[in-house]
Amino acid sequence: MSAFHKIIATVKSAIERSPRTAPPAHPASPGVIVPVTHDARRAELISQFARELEAVGGAFLGIFSPDEVRARTVALARDIGAHTAAIGAGVTLDTAAVARALEQAGIAVIRPGASGDAERASYRERLAGCDLGIVEANAGIAATGTLAVIGTSASPNSLTLLPPANLIIVNADRMRADLAAAVSAIGAETFTTKRVALITGPSRTADIEKMIVLGVHGPRKLYALAIWPNEV
Amino acid sequence: MAAAKPDPIPDFLETSRKGVADADLRRKLENSTGRHLEHVAHMRAEFPGYDGERDVARRIKEDAIGRLDELLIELKQKLEANGCTVFVAADAAEARDYIIKIARKASARHVVKGKSMTTEEIDLNPALQAAGMEVVETDLGEYIVQLRRERPSHIITPAIHLSKEDIGQLFADQLGIAYTAEPEALTAAARERLRSIFLGADLGVTGVNFAIAETGTLVLIENEGNGRLTSTLPETFIAVMGIEKVIPKLADLSHFLEILARTGTGQKLTTYTNFISGPRREGELDGPRAMHVVILDNGRSAMLADPVMREALYCLRCGACLNVCPVYRRIGGHAYNSPYPGPIGSIVSPNLFGSAAAKLPFASTLCGACRDICPVKIDIPRILLHLRWKETQAQPPTKWPADARRTRAGVRRFARMARHPRTLRLLSRIGGWMLRPFARDRYLRRMPGPFKNWTRWGRDFPAPGARRRKPRGEG
Amino acid sequence: MPEVRLFATCLVEEFYPSVIESAALVLERLKLKVRPLRSAFCCAQAPFNEGLRDEAVDLARRFLKSCEPGTPVVIPSGSCTSMVKIFYSDLLADDPALAKKAAAMRPWLFEFSQFLVNVLKVKYVGARFDRTAVYHPACHLTRELRVVDEPRLLLGAVQNLRMVDFRNPEECCGFGGAFSVKLPHISAAMVEDKIVRIKESGATAVIANDCGCLMQIGGALHRQGLQVETFHLAEVLAAR
Repeated sequence: MSAFHKIIATVKSAIERSPRTAPPAHPASPGVIVPVTHDARRAELISQFARELEAVGGAFLGIFSPDEVRARTVALARDIGAHTAAIGAGVTLDTAAVARALEQAGIAVIRPGASGDAERASYRERLAGCDLGIVEANAGIAATGTLAVIGTSASPNSLTLLPPANLIIVNADRMRADLAAAVSAIGAETFTTKRVALITGPSRTADIEKMIVLGVHGPRKLYALAIWPNEV
Repeated sequence: MAAAKPDPIPDFLETSRKGVADADLRRKLENSTGRHLEHVAHMRAEFPGYDGERDVARRIKEDAIGRLDELLIELKQKLEANGCTVFVAADAAEARDYIIKIARKASARHVVKGKSMTTEEIDLNPALQAAGMEVVETDLGEYIVQLRRERPSHIITPAIHLSKEDIGQLFADQLGIAYTAEPEALTAAARERLRSIFLGADLGVTGVNFAIAETGTLVLIENEGNGRLTSTLPETFIAVMGIEKVIPKLADLSHFLEILARTGTGQKLTTYTNFISGPRREGELDGPRAMHVVILDNGRSAMLADPVMREALYCLRCGACLNVCPVYRRIGGHAYNSPYPGPIGSIVSPNLFGSAAAKLPFASTLCGACRDICPVKIDIPRILLHLRWKETQAQPPTKWPADARRTRAGVRRFARMARHPRTLRLLSRIGGWMLRPFARDRYLRRMPGPFKNWTRWGRDFPAPGARRRKPRGEG
Repeated sequence: MPEVRLFATCLVEEFYPSVIESAALVLERLKLKVRPLRSAFCCAQAPFNEGLRDEAVDLARRFLKSCEPGTPVVIPSGSCTSMVKIFYSDLLADDPALAKKAAAMRPWLFEFSQFLVNVLKVKYVGARFDRTAVYHPACHLTRELRVVDEPRLLLGAVQNLRMVDFRNPEECCGFGGAFSVKLPHISAAMVEDKIVRIKESGATAVIANDCGCLMQIGGALHRQGLQVETFHLAEVLAAR
């Protein structure tokens, strides 16, 4: 018998020695009251998201059409005095167009490259030295002001980890009411194959006298904007 | 520092006496824990579903712990399918040896750690250092206590025993920065130091908050981002978890997250909730090349076998019971001589560390504040009573000082006499007559025998039977 | 006239005889026949909390023998009431006959303020008490029995009594039975901080329904030479 099976046997006999509790009946998570129109609901969720994000120290830039996103991103990069920005592939948005707009505005853009050891190391170095990381979230959570970011080869996790400031874009159609809804929308399959991070505001600590300080290890600044998709 | 053998654990009575005597410490604890309790009260007030979610979360834990064997097998299979290497350790030594073996195989020199009480439990840092590795704690609070060569004194706020001035002095001495007591500046200094350490680290070690059996996913909850960095940058990543961390399904998780941050830190959700299922995949630019999961028993299955103890395994390690505990708030975390201080520590430590922690269940008035704040409603007072009873049976008996032994003998004598109320009434009347001449307005300044400690420690003793006349309405 | 039993509890018998007299008086004024329960002396909490189960079972047996379902037993202590009403089920788990009796008694056991407000539906008992006071909610009363509002309602109806707030009233005073002498330094530190907060409030009286708290808080107030007195709720309600 392997060590693992020995421990499993110990656990099993422990359970048998103490009475087993009946399997629980979980009440479904509370239902969501859906307003009259789809648009109204989306708008409501986004405004709730914005309020919660600001409450945890993030900044909500507004709701924009896909075309407006480019200009707003360039404006943000200028506002914070960014010289270099790193950008990952979008989920619904063509971020290549955003990257081109940034370059036209004179801001150097770092794009994910090959995955060899040397390339990875140099990508990491450049990320650590850049001024702004830009990604698109897979989902947003209105109740908590949270952005669900999924790491891929075209949009690595480090983008929301190493730069001192982040812009996270979220499509209005992907705004969910609460955590349970977002987790189920992302789906179990994604969780087993990708890294998922739920990000709720800028990095923070309360380790010194329980006083809140932003920007410990992760980004000090978190900006978010929502895309209002064009009607088809 | 060669620290293979830990020092003998000091006695709780001695360390707790040091705690209460430190007026400065008590002030710091009151401020910080008070601030936390205000946040929690606010969160609870604005989330009406809070109490219902606590019940749901508790039922999920009851179910999970009730079929832990099945879930552990499922978790191991799924983690392996996701590319992780899983090791199940029966005790602390096995876990340490495995981690050192992996570290050596990876030729690791620089280890970064995310906050993990489980690695404190197995004394991992001294073992890694003895194996020639540099170990840096990266959670700000942990980093601070590591610089002071101390243990964390709280499971969520490791440096709760320090003021910003203490930390300012520490950073000035150890990091060579100009003295400042500004939390912003201190945090920035630590960030700068740790960032370069992160970029040069070759092994990352963190704890785990939840392990989802269904998907083989580890969930790591944190505010700073150091857990994400630790699990993302180094080439080798080791996650260490107790067997009780497993939950059945992905859909169960939201019920825990709804209450954990609210109680633990007074937030709706912690800043980062990281889902980690495996190492870097083909084509990815970050994440570890190899990921190991160490699943630790170390006394937990024995807790599971005890029907009263069992619910201690539901603990989410939110730390709220420490903040609300009137004993913890007076003595601080170091007094407990265990990585798990406070009420939860008093019930868990005797199971993990045996006789060295046998006195802890007595460090409580059974006031119940811990049970009321617990997000999964663990009946801590009930377990404390259970452990007290077990302590009375312990062989060899716990080493108590003479006055504590006298107390127990006194209670036993009283209980035996109380079976005969008439005799006891007569005796206490005689005792009362004898003591009354020494009383000053119905109080005695010094008492003998089992009550000696009462009057020695700041309290006069009511003279038996002296309060006969009921008070009148006028002041 | 309906009958109630009144169980003094050991601390009251030993140190606060006026509490039982006061409680009896309040109940008699409400036209109840009060019969003391004197064949038991202690609820068993002292040995139970020290881990001495066998000794505790003996005392529980004695207590249960001295009362019968059908007649309410009123106890002027939150923690003794919790012991007989709640903790007996754990203590007596291995003795089915006793456990059965304990379960049968459970609905007939009442803490004093609980009985007045919830059973008799009384708030005003004709008391007059001319003081400025804080109410200290005892731990077991609050968190085991969940008796939170009852004492406050009763105190709110007392003439001339001015109730004032103090910080963090629910935090334990540090008594804890044997804890107070076994870990006296922690116990003393707890009451020391409680007294700082009582002093801030400007109260001249502390009211509680548990004599353990009164011993602890009263003993520390007296040691510090403060002119703040301690009273049991029953004493306040009996005063005129």
